[in-house]
Amino acid sequence: MKRVCMFLMVLLCVVGFGWGLPVNADDRKQLSIIHLPSDPISFQPGPGSDLASRYCLMCHSAEYVYMQPPHPREQWVEIVGKMKTSFGCPISNEDMAPLADYLVSQNSLQPSPSAPHVQADGEKETPGRSATQASDPQQGESLYKRHCLTCHGPGGKGDGPIGPVLVPPAANLTLIGKQSDKSILDTLRKGRPGTAMPAWEHDLNPQELNQLLSFLRTLTP
Amino acid sequence: MNEKKPRIDRRQLLKGSLALGLGLLTPRGLWANDSSTVTLPFERGRRPLVALPQKRPLMVLATRPPQLETPFHIFNENIFTPNDAFFVRWHLANIPQEIDVNTFRLTIRGRVNKILSLSLEELKTQFDQVEIAAVCQCAGNSRGFFQPRVPGVQWGNGAMGNANWKGIRLRDLLHKAGLADDALQIRFDGLDQPVAQVTPDFRKSLQLDDALQKEVLIAHSMNGESLPMLNGFPLRLVVPGWYATYWVKMLNDIEVLNQADQTFWTTDAYRLPADPCHCVKPGEALTSTVPMGKTPVRSFMTNVEEGQTLPGGKPFTIKGIAFDQGYGIDRVLFSMDGGQQWQSARLGKDYGDFSFRPWEAKFIPEPGHAYALQSLAINRIGETQRFDARWNPHGYLRNVIETVNIHGT
Repeated sequence: MKRVCMFLMVLLCVVGFGWGLPVNADDRKQLSIIHLPSDPISFQPGPGSDLASRYCLMCHSAEYVYMQPPHPREQWVEIVGKMKTSFGCPISNEDMAPLADYLVSQNSLQPSPSAPHVQADGEKETPGRSATQASDPQQGESLYKRHCLTCHGPGGKGDGPIGPVLVPPAANLTLIGKQSDKSILDTLRKGRPGTAMPAWEHDLNPQELNQLLSFLRTLTP
Repeated sequence: MNEKKPRIDRRQLLKGSLALGLGLLTPRGLWANDSSTVTLPFERGRRPLVALPQKRPLMVLATRPPQLETPFHIFNENIFTPNDAFFVRWHLANIPQEIDVNTFRLTIRGRVNKILSLSLEELKTQFDQVEIAAVCQCAGNSRGFFQPRVPGVQWGNGAMGNANWKGIRLRDLLHKAGLADDALQIRFDGLDQPVAQVTPDFRKSLQLDDALQKEVLIAHSMNGESLPMLNGFPLRLVVPGWYATYWVKMLNDIEVLNQADQTFWTTDAYRLPADPCHCVKPGEALTSTVPMGKTPVRSFMTNVEEGQTLPGGKPFTIKGIAFDQGYGIDRVLFSMDGGQQWQSARLGKDYGDFSFRPWEAKFIPEPGHAYALQSLAINRIGETQRFDARWNPHGYLRNVIETVNIHGT
């Protein structure tokens, strides 16, 4: 078993930046491995962007919204409805209209479309940032409620309204005590490919990521 | 007939788009600083060129799940689309990123006499190996050109590719399993999974008669190599003449049904207006629908771009490709005046009825003249491309005669 693990680790190193040609490991395992990139863009901050991040980024990157031609509001309402009824996105009834409003604000003929624009790191407007004196965990808690609770649940056990239906289910964050800060921050920044965990590095600045980390530390016994 | 063709405007092929402030759709992070872009001639048509695993830089419409379009010049350079340039389209984001060839099994179950579970090695050694050249085209290829625009993945004309597919006949496999007398449809499932359990898993079904056609393969290789992961490694269903939605990738499960498949991707998705045109007036609701089927005849010019100038007084050879659902291309006609007069193009090598067929036509542009170049393919049963663009709310089945406007200098 140890040998297999070693093999896998070596393999991962070998193909890490080679983007994964099929690799012959040994006689027992013949692996083809690729590493798909994390999302390159995020939703432009604005009223409802947290809803879009929460509901849309589970299953697809924000590019799906921005590649669309400008749609009239009725079209966005129809799309949001289809995501809920046909594809099972657990959008609560009260979030339906605000989510459609946000999509209209991002890509519609009226009001004029405001596309996400690229800013240098750290220049982003971040709704969560303020000049309060609150401690990191408190700030982190409000970020957690805004961005994480829907999947990971109030206590971090992976039991939020969406968490259990995901494949794989949302992670139980009370079990990450042994992970290093770097490992947790990496996951927050880049997401977990192959799961619904999106990359947050475009939505949250480094300070906010650290605040979130501080809060996550309070969840573990 | 003012349809524009997507072009790769080399003058706009910009390095360092971030620095140039092209904010819209310029991805941050991974590839922001060194990505070139291609601009398709419709609103929000700028696409970064990025290399995903086992791929050369392709037009990225979306990263997760990946939707990659083949830049159009590739079709001018290759009758067989290189594997690393072949378009990519996935519906569900849980795509396996690691496959162990030794433990992978393809299962055949349902209304069969004997359930089979076969390794790749068994598939490659216990069955006839068959190779066929065939075009794989997304049902929504060219959706971005629909007017009025429609929602969906906003493809230019590059959601298609031609390859030599090698594998085993589906019918050989079904015969080995033994079909029950009441077998009606065959349903195909791949290893990709939805992110949420409630999302319908992507599966597609074929009627038994269609599935038993000799050209329907379970392919393990493409242009002489293993399939790229993003094109369905280790196995994909190949249904020549049919739209790509049926070409299930990472195929690992085949189920023989004795009733019509009632799952979402068959009953609700990939449906066409039922009338023979498969079109409606813009905005009109669909009353009755039929499932997606075969690909109507199309042709493209591959070596001219919209707005290009050509030296006047010198012969120029227009190059192009044509294909249909498998009757084969009988003729390609070429017009330089927007379809008022047509001349016969010369057909190139025939690689089989399901392949791209190369063609070329010569003409001499006069200095100072404008030309609306068009090509019109006709297949062996007399079907032609459409003279007016059909419209349907999902942007399917475009096969209108394409126009490229050029000037002689």
